[in-house]
Amino acid sequence: MSLNVLGSLAMADGGGFETPTTADFYQPLLFDGPWAITRPAVVLMLSVGLIAWFLIATTKRAAIVPGKGQWVTESAYGFVRNGIARDIIGSKDFLRFVPLLFTMFVLILVNNLFGVIPPIQYPTMSRIGIPIALTLVVYVTYLYIGMKRVGVGAYFKNLVPAGLPAWIVPVIFPLELITFFITRPLTLALRLFGNMFAGHLLLLLFITGGEYMIIHGGIGLKIAGVGSFAMAFVLTIFEILIEFLQAYIFTLLAATYIAGSLVDEH
Amino acid sequence: MNDGPPDPDAGHPRLEEAHMWNVMSYLISGPVMFGGIGWALDLWLNTSFFVPAGILAGMAVSLYLVWVRYGTQH
Amino acid sequence: MTGNIAILGYGLSAIGPGVGIGLIFAAYINGVARQPEARGMLQSIAILGFALAEALAIFGLVLAFVFK
Repeated sequence: MSLNVLGSLAMADGGGFETPTTADFYQPLLFDGPWAITRPAVVLMLSVGLIAWFLIATTKRAAIVPGKGQWVTESAYGFVRNGIARDIIGSKDFLRFVPLLFTMFVLILVNNLFGVIPPIQYPTMSRIGIPIALTLVVYVTYLYIGMKRVGVGAYFKNLVPAGLPAWIVPVIFPLELITFFITRPLTLALRLFGNMFAGHLLLLLFITGGEYMIIHGGIGLKIAGVGSFAMAFVLTIFEILIEFLQAYIFTLLAATYIAGSLVDEH
Repeated sequence: MNDGPPDPDAGHPRLEEAHMWNVMSYLISGPVMFGGIGWALDLWLNTSFFVPAGILAGMAVSLYLVWVRYGTQH
Repeated sequence: MTGNIAILGYGLSAIGPGVGIGLIFAAYINGVARQPEARGMLQSIAILGFALAEALAIFGLVLAFVFK
């Protein structure tokens, strides 16, 4: 709904200009249809190869006094391990989950940064399937851990906080059920997808709009075109900040859900 | 910095900060679920006031749940 | 100009909760900065205030989809 409105509202600035729509995000390279090999698929595979090569190359000959590459890897790893995993899950059993959290963080960060690096410039997280896949991994993890820890029956019984009057429990229980099983993973995926998609769409709008106004406009529109390009520059910097933030928030929330199913609440 | 063996229950210093995000998910799922129930009731009984009533009731239940879980001291 | 005035309404209604949440967390940060030991007590009050202010924003979001 809202994307059609955005398209039709932006159509008011002169005929002949096509505003960027969701169809601009579908860029098949080989074949077509549901089994197409699209540009985000290639970029994702490229990012995995790049991350694997970088991490292996910088830790192959680990020295006590680190070189530059090893320092970058150690900083990122220390950040996730101490700042996110140990502080949230607790120092008792956080080591089991550090690989998962570190992988998520680095994967989302590198893929987000591909949205502003010139030869690639496609944030792979702006196709909803990829955040959904990452969320599924976290979803299965925290449900499995919670149910394995206290058993399936007690897990459902613990959903309702203790000490409530008995007549309100049948109202609260479905609400907790839907929150745990539907809303939490859904908001996790949609937050990442929405931020990346909207950011990229905004950049597309400002850049293509600026180009159109400079080429086809009168003198007033040409000045506005330059302003549009300046706005695109500012938004690119803002977009880099948002990309770091979204990777951090995804990992933070994954750690929170895992900690929530490890801790005996109430 | 020698203070003996590490405390096994050293706790999660920043877990409480992350509760804010759980509050968000409660606040979203309350109105959506009860609004959905209200909308289904509307389709069945052919009325048109159950959807906003459902949204309001859902928000009230959500706020109550947030208050019970995070507002009072355990 | 065609479009949906519900979108304008949602945009305008998001100003209030934004300002409210900013004020709440400004007070929380001030309180913790002056007396870090009060952090636990202030945290539950801050979360409650955040939930109440965010409720209005969620209303706007849900109703923007209802009134399409």
